[in-house]
Amino acid sequence: MSLAIAGMGWVTPLGTGVDSVWDRLLQGEEASATTISEEFADRVYSVFRVPESELKGISHPRLRRASAISRFAAAAGLHALQSAGLNLESQNTERMALIFAISNGGVIYTKRFYREIVGSGAQAASPLLFPETVFNAPASHLAAILRMTGATYTLVGDSAVGVAAITMAEELMTNESLDYCLVVGTEEIDWLLCDAYRRWRLLRLAPPIEPFSKQNRGMILSEGAGAIVLARNGFVTIERAHPGGYFRKRAEAEKILNSILCDLAQVEIDLVISSANGTFVDHAESETLQKVVPNALIYAGKPALGESVGAAGLWQIILAAQALRSKEIPPVLHTDRAHRLRVSHSRTPIAGARRAIVLSCGINQQAAGLRLAIE
Amino acid sequence: MAQGDKRESTNDAARVAVTAAGVISPLGFGLAETLESLRSAQDCVTPVMRFSVKQCRCKTAGQVSDLRLLASHAQTLRSGRLHRASHMMIQALQEVVAQQPDFEPELTVVGTTSGGMSYGERYYRSLHGAGDLRHAATWIANYPAQKPVIDAQTAFGISAPCQVIANACASGTNAVGHAFECVRSGRYQRVLAGGYDALAEMVFVGFDSLQASTPDKCRPFDRNRSGMVLGEGAAVLALENLDLAHECGAPVLAEIIGYGISTDNFHITQPEPSGVGARQAMERALQSAHISASDVHYINAHGTATAFNDAAEGKAISALFNGVPVSSTKSMMGHSLGAAGAIEAVVCLLALQHQLLPANINFTAPDDDVDLNIVRNEARPAVVNVALSNSFGFGGTNASLLMRKPEA
Repeated sequence: MSLAIAGMGWVTPLGTGVDSVWDRLLQGEEASATTISEEFADRVYSVFRVPESELKGISHPRLRRASAISRFAAAAGLHALQSAGLNLESQNTERMALIFAISNGGVIYTKRFYREIVGSGAQAASPLLFPETVFNAPASHLAAILRMTGATYTLVGDSAVGVAAITMAEELMTNESLDYCLVVGTEEIDWLLCDAYRRWRLLRLAPPIEPFSKQNRGMILSEGAGAIVLARNGFVTIERAHPGGYFRKRAEAEKILNSILCDLAQVEIDLVISSANGTFVDHAESETLQKVVPNALIYAGKPALGESVGAAGLWQIILAAQALRSKEIPPVLHTDRAHRLRVSHSRTPIAGARRAIVLSCGINQQAAGLRLAIE
Repeated sequence: MAQGDKRESTNDAARVAVTAAGVISPLGFGLAETLESLRSAQDCVTPVMRFSVKQCRCKTAGQVSDLRLLASHAQTLRSGRLHRASHMMIQALQEVVAQQPDFEPELTVVGTTSGGMSYGERYYRSLHGAGDLRHAATWIANYPAQKPVIDAQTAFGISAPCQVIANACASGTNAVGHAFECVRSGRYQRVLAGGYDALAEMVFVGFDSLQASTPDKCRPFDRNRSGMVLGEGAAVLALENLDLAHECGAPVLAEIIGYGISTDNFHITQPEPSGVGARQAMERALQSAHISASDVHYINAHGTATAFNDAAEGKAISALFNGVPVSSTKSMMGHSLGAAGAIEAVVCLLALQHQLLPANINFTAPDDDVDLNIVRNEARPAVVNVALSNSFGFGGTNASLLMRKPEA
């Protein structure tokens, strides 16, 4: 069974709305970094944030106290439904499933909630904050906004979770009583995450993200959401979703990526949307891409948009779908021109391109991939 | 099936067998100890010593002994760094592997709410208090929600992709239910399903702040109920296409026959008071199984013992089922959140295998507003051919699973 993308929504540090963000990417623009600090620490990190102005117009009683992660998700989800031409008032919401892909979840409220416990004791814990710390809070808010009564799932994982969520959507939609599945990937930034990823030697203190560089200088975190409406028909088909896998050590990532890519590349592939983010991921992907699809054009969006972890997989899929639809790809920023991969260094037309692979190597042991096609 | 019944109107849906199961919970390590605790209706809730509960209303939880947990398998330097949730998951999977050494899953679906949360707490406390951060990288590496299932699979050389569902307290039932649908649809032949959660201070205090947990005993469906107690544990079930299981000579412990999921959008922490969400999940499970409510012999209720949950669930059960025996085994072991649905699926499995109705302990007086046939305080023998397990969570997520005794 193959599903298709019927609508997409995008909230990024480079703007909101698929066409608007895509245009800026084609122009070679990148998100602006801001710094993030913490009262009990000296270190400051650079991050790509979604400007508050991008969320204007998103209001609902359920979002009044909700964290940024829930508001990003609601905005992207509603845009995706709108772009699919779905009218929620007349839609049978039982015939739609909702899948959320999340990695760190509502970390801002989680930290605030725990800070009160650590600082002032359990009696200071806020009953208003606690429910927002739960992984499925963003999904619950969007389900309430959409008045959904059917299946709602929140999948947690690393930066490969968004692509893995599409596999789950395929599994759910073997049930013919479902017409649509709305898949949303979302993430918010906090200083704590930056510090954790730095201690794990994945983070760079300031931009840029340099993909496929000889040295892994690290990633810059970003936030936002991506949403995709999957249906039986649409403008781009999900031809194959690989169920993914995991690697025990970073050094073993290449092996699982190789197996995913070999499975997906059994037909001619024109384009690969890589998850290269300036970390160990780049070397693993680079090696396997050279071996399995040496002629495919490679695009990596994270240098322009940052590493949005839970949202990243959905962003990659949106990039692939837009590339196939618009027949061109943006330049890959901050990459070494001497690299052996066929990387697009400038805005490049891809007139005859029919198939794209989304390859997602997670930063916490997971990997996934899928193949899109356009007629 | 989760919603409606379109696919099952065709006759090509595969039947789904449970061919192995493993469990660790306050009730015990493994199926045998769990059965013994169920038979004796043991109260396994104990005072919390893991972190300070001085300022909390509730001071107890169902807990797994660290001494036994860490002694239960060989410790290496690497395993010494793993989170307790990983150790629990390894323990549960070890029991499955011992029963079915050749079981090679194509997919693993698990539920959790907090993964390695207490390592995140340690990291934050050290940062906040300018404490020792030498082990921070280890805490961070072992904190992610997916880490325990990856650790467990790694320990036994299993390489299946993992889906980690975090649908709050319904996660475990969602995981088993989704795994069931994956096999039933024919997309997969063998899937591991389960759940894990270890007790964490933040979650404990969170429920306490909501006044959802009790300073008293956990008394589900009782007139004098005053809230839940938390628990912890892990459970794993090996799900397999029934025909394939027969061909391979695998033992069939039970059959999973139906799954229902619903979302009610009433409130992020409270169920819709009439129980409509719970009722929809149970109705969809019955539809999915092609059975009627009168075919069900036992209901393992979500039964957290909070005023709101039990009232809504009680209304939904009494509206659908006429006098079917009901118990909440959370009264014995506490609420293990993301693990609860998987552990309670194992409890249902044992009820079907051993023709036993597990007890709802600490029960003193029925609630006038809830008309249920509660299995009061003592387990009892009974004919149990079909069992229903309910799990409902924050965010209005509701899940029900139906299991059947295997045909002779």
